[in-house]
Amino acid sequence: MSNTRDRKSMNCAEFQESLPELFESGANVSRNEHVLGCENCSALVRDLEYIAAQAKLLLPIHDPSPSVWDNIQSAIRNETDHKTRAHTGKLP
Amino acid sequence: MSAGPTQPRSEPRPPVRHMRRNPPIAGEAEAIAQAQAGDGESFEILYSLHKRRVYSLCLRMLGNVAEAEDLTQEAFLQLHRKIGTFRGDSAFSTWLHRLAVNVVLMHLRKKGLPQISLEEALEPSQEDGPRRDLGERDLVLSGSLDRVALERAVENLPPGYRLVFVLHDVEGYEHNEIADMLNCSIGNSKSQLHKARMKLRDLLRSGQRKEESVA
Repeated sequence: MSNTRDRKSMNCAEFQESLPELFESGANVSRNEHVLGCENCSALVRDLEYIAAQAKLLLPIHDPSPSVWDNIQSAIRNETDHKTRAHTGKLP
Repeated sequence: MSAGPTQPRSEPRPPVRHMRRNPPIAGEAEAIAQAQAGDGESFEILYSLHKRRVYSLCLRMLGNVAEAEDLTQEAFLQLHRKIGTFRGDSAFSTWLHRLAVNVVLMHLRKKGLPQISLEEALEPSQEDGPRRDLGERDLVLSGSLDRVALERAVENLPPGYRLVFVLHDVEGYEHNEIADMLNCSIGNSKSQLHKARMKLRDLLRSGQRKEESVA
């Protein structure tokens, strides 16, 4: 971690400003010195970690209806026919 | 995820890895090669392998089944047209996802953001953004959140936030991959993700407050 700033001296605004970087660093944010001394930021970190953890449970939804593949096949067939016709039309 | 009991408390936790994003898929490489050579059955195999994730992305971004199916169709039609250009520089699913993301963004622009650039689409207006939390602790989400509530809150995120949140937190893409997909900077992707989580927290807490006032 390149940021050597004394996090203990941070106020809530400064801490929250640095949160994206802290989360991405892989550090244990809930053990951060500011968090340990601040109930508000501690709850914030807990909620954000919880939201990220719950998000992983959202996949998958389900398959699209079979008509989607039917439409794709039909569109591909039309495109192929169109290309063939255009190509044939250029022939003497 | 909490550290194991034998781990020293001061040791940083490893970043959470999403292992489900690009698992090796048996037969995919062969299907790609044959689809590139024009084989229809192989293209159908690719559709079967990836339809759910492409559809999930479209549905989460649009919140409407008919539109999501139309865009899934469009994404796979584009795949059919462009599959010959896939060179394997990234995983096929990442490449396909980028294509699907572009289809979704084009659609969103046509719907309501005709003049807007991607960077602007990724930066919602001030009133759509999350609030800072500098006090007034009242509700704690932890342990009380169900998937339905989270899905609903995700639907209510501004599109730019929603896209980065879905790609990173739901689907497990890394910021460099998202930046590549969305043609934005890695820093922008990180910042959007954080704002998305903050906004989700706002939405979920206001939902909790409403429930409590009704009860």
